[in-house]
Amino acid sequence: MALLEVRGVGKRFGGVQALQDVSAIVHRGEIVGLIGPNGAGKTTLFNCISGVETPDSGRIAFDDNDLAGMSPHRRARLGIARTFQNLQLFGSMTVLENCMTAFDAFARRGMVADALRMPWARFEEHRARERAMAMLHFLDIERFAHSRAQDLPTGLQRRIELARALCLRPALLLLDEPAAGLDADETIELAGFLRSARDRLDVSMLLVDHDMSLVMRVCDHITVLDFGKVIAAGDPPAIRSDPVVITAYLGEAA
Amino acid sequence: MSPTTLRRSLVVVGIAVAATVPWFTDLFAQGLATTAACTALLALSLVLLTGMVGQVSFCQFSFAALGAFTVGSLMVGHGVSFWLAATLGAAFAGVVGVVVGFLALRLRGLLLAVLTVSVALFVDVSLLAPGTWDGFTNGSSGWTGIPHPAIFGHELDTYQLYLFTFGVFLLAALLVWNLRNGKTGRVLRAVRDSEVASATLGLNVAGWKLAAFGVSAAMAGLAGALLAVAESSAAGGSQSSYSFQYSVALVATVTVFGAGSIFAAAVTGFFIVFGTWLLDLTPLSHQWFNLVLGALLIVQLVFNPDGVVVKTERDVVHLLHRLAARRHPPAVSVTSEAA
Repeated sequence: MALLEVRGVGKRFGGVQALQDVSAIVHRGEIVGLIGPNGAGKTTLFNCISGVETPDSGRIAFDDNDLAGMSPHRRARLGIARTFQNLQLFGSMTVLENCMTAFDAFARRGMVADALRMPWARFEEHRARERAMAMLHFLDIERFAHSRAQDLPTGLQRRIELARALCLRPALLLLDEPAAGLDADETIELAGFLRSARDRLDVSMLLVDHDMSLVMRVCDHITVLDFGKVIAAGDPPAIRSDPVVITAYLGEAA
Repeated sequence: MSPTTLRRSLVVVGIAVAATVPWFTDLFAQGLATTAACTALLALSLVLLTGMVGQVSFCQFSFAALGAFTVGSLMVGHGVSFWLAATLGAAFAGVVGVVVGFLALRLRGLLLAVLTVSVALFVDVSLLAPGTWDGFTNGSSGWTGIPHPAIFGHELDTYQLYLFTFGVFLLAALLVWNLRNGKTGRVLRAVRDSEVASATLGLNVAGWKLAAFGVSAAMAGLAGALLAVAESSAAGGSQSSYSFQYSVALVATVTVFGAGSIFAAAVTGFFIVFGTWLLDLTPLSHQWFNLVLGALLIVQLVFNPDGVVVKTERDVVHLLHRLAARRHPPAVSVTSEAA
């Protein structure tokens, strides 16, 4: 069953056709890779799915909801979470607070209950803290819970962003270059986390990365973009041996 | 002594001193103390907006003017009680605050500052211009003779009005403190740190910014309502206490003491009202007040952008930890949040 369905999406920035008739499908329980050279339109597609950009044409449906015209925060509440290529952590907050923020959109209490410290406000606060701690434990970073996010190294920050996104308990997670800035060991560890998150937290993923070792390791299905167009789609072995892909992309990297 | 205990005892002592000292002074000083409490409330409204959401505002006194003139017209012109008039004044300022917030939604930094400056100047040349109120008040360019609030038919005297105003400030400070330590404070900081990440976590960024602007403006409106009864007038023209220059001084002073700190709001109220008097105790003349404030601001921004109060607090906490560490090694590191 298709969780995310992107059909014929186009997006133009001035004279540049960033996306042209792009279609892709993420089924429930799948990790789908999206690869392509720099400027192929991967991040633009992500932005169209998460609602940061509006596509010029085409249709994006999530869990049978048409996403057209829906604001980013409503898409997030439907169950689409994402991480960012250029990290977007809340720098002034601790790691724990970063993760607790993911529960705040669903918290029932408003400003008044907070200002008066109503019992249910404190209860919800306590519950958010515990759930965030559990997620930090899952990703093995609970010892950094009380450190300020911006003081930590990049590799760790990437994992905190992953934890924060998972705290939203999304059905679909968009990962924008999660392995950027990670060394080989960290990348292998990340692949393990992604697989266990998919299995244990029921998250489907759409993953953009340049790191072939990660993409080939975790993805069930790969879509290749070049100059805004889909040039190939298939499972990892098929993509690895596809001559079009090799010329366009893997050729330069390998 | 732990930092929390120290902070709590300081707050208790501070409240006790602030509540009792004016009782021993003359009526004039009591009036000034009331003005200081109102100004502290205004500063608190700026702490909420600048310290928590990172939005700047050069028009807090304009919101206060809305509250003050609402109270003036309703109480003097229509004989409405203070309680209803002040509530309406705060609500009116809050609604205007949401409108300004709506205009400010996509703006940050310099452009936002320019927008709030225009709002302040607009209020200056319309609401506060000499002559605006002449038709209503028989030519006194504002409302005069605003009575003190009455509780069960008993009109508060000058010292009681001070206690009441100070109490309102304390209550507001407590509410802001709770907001900051709860979900609201976290969400507002999230919006300040990264709007795009907040949105992808399901937070309605525009809604939260509007709420912050609205609550901040309503608080400023309430401060204006209290200021109107404290001065027993809401005057426009050259004697107006609500013009743009005061908003600038407020932003400057809050920045000097620390826009992230509730305690700094209290210090700001005291400093703006009693700063000239403090200068008279030194060899400097009180006419140098703005010069001293400007110099402080520059020194502050260069050496210590978090503000005097926040910095001092952090230093004291560090000192306490060092002392504790010397007594019982090894040291326990605790991250501290500014009050």
